[in-house]
Amino acid sequence: MAGKIHHMIEEIVNKRAKGNATLMITTKTKLMLKGINPEAFDESTPDDPAVIEKLAGIAHDLGVVVA
Amino acid sequence: MSIYVAQSSKMSVPAAVDEIRQKLGRSDGALLLFFASSSYEPVAISSAFQAAFPHTPTMGCSTSGEIVSGHLSKNSVVAMLIGPDLIEDVCIEVAEDLSAGHSLAAPVQAFERHFGRPVADLDFDHYVGLILVDGLSGAEERLMDELGNATDVAFVGGSAGDDLKFSATHVYANGQAHTNAAVLAVLKPKGPFSIIKTQSFTVLPQTLTATEVDQAHRLVLSFDGQPAVQAYSGALGVPAEAAASQFMVHPMGLVLDAEPFVRSPRAVQDDALAFYCNITEGMQLHLLQSTDIVADTRKAIEDRQAALGRFRGLINFHCILRTLELEQSGRVDDYARVFEDIPTIGFSTYGEQYLGHVNQTSTMLAFV
Repeated sequence: MAGKIHHMIEEIVNKRAKGNATLMITTKTKLMLKGINPEAFDESTPDDPAVIEKLAGIAHDLGVVVA
Repeated sequence: MSIYVAQSSKMSVPAAVDEIRQKLGRSDGALLLFFASSSYEPVAISSAFQAAFPHTPTMGCSTSGEIVSGHLSKNSVVAMLIGPDLIEDVCIEVAEDLSAGHSLAAPVQAFERHFGRPVADLDFDHYVGLILVDGLSGAEERLMDELGNATDVAFVGGSAGDDLKFSATHVYANGQAHTNAAVLAVLKPKGPFSIIKTQSFTVLPQTLTATEVDQAHRLVLSFDGQPAVQAYSGALGVPAEAAASQFMVHPMGLVLDAEPFVRSPRAVQDDALAFYCNITEGMQLHLLQSTDIVADTRKAIEDRQAALGRFRGLINFHCILRTLELEQSGRVDDYARVFEDIPTIGFSTYGEQYLGHVNQTSTMLAFV
């Protein structure tokens, strides 16, 4: 399976930023500084359980609920 | 009233603070910010400033060099008095005992009591944070991560220095001096403000991924499965023995949308690389190539002023590594002149903060 990480990143950024362009940039930067580079994942990136788990934790820290 | 800045090189605390107060020409404001060489006794300098400005919130820290409009100096103290016409409200809190790993819950709750709402609800266009951290604490990443989780208000700041002694740094708040601590402030400016992050590097195509790290000690043991020193020097095409000589010119960086967040190597430890910041396992870093600090800084400021208008004041958290590079190249005065027409104070830091902890960068808060 592939693409779940990319979708999780998009969901975290969109829900935290709520459409604000500045917050989209700062949220992506926060993700990168937390060790998840948004530019490193796309629809074809294989699902990595460790990264998915890390993203779930990041979502919790950022107060965002992801599917 | 707006913003007034002053500097004193007098060696005694009472004489220095008195000279600052005389030069500022007033003893009341919305916020007094000061940066003082570690040659000033910490408890004395903080209490003296609060005594001289009894009705004004004060905050500051020790430095590895000071900046005031048009001048970089050492063994001095600089101060900025910001008037109530620029700052409507300010709350200063201290996070103590950083080495114990305590969360920022207490200062965050204090901010929430002061401003009457959760920090998550503070509008980042109307509030801004300042942070000054004990530069020897190693706590900067944890603090910025917690702040970034709690709020979208941007915090900008620097790690306190001690004139390259690496012995003890101090942060100051409302007359007190603290070590192993951070001073946090949330400001509500009355007008526009802007944060500038400027670093003078181009991003090189070579990347290295940290595969084994000792986060607590800011060590990378291996990149891409190879001993870190060998991997770094190999990527640069130099012998491993020459690795340390490349650090200033070729640090590394996390890169997002072509913008680097610099991670500076500090030392070779056996086959590992020690950094001035945390590298987590799996982080992919680009090698960077240094460019012109003076030209890049001037352009960053000119571009922002062109977009927003003339700055009424500027606070510059300027990495000590940049100061050393400017000293080595004889360009300290050129850099200082970038700020000669802007009421500016700043200091040479042991690290800079904006969204996270970075190195070899200037992070700045501009009041427009």
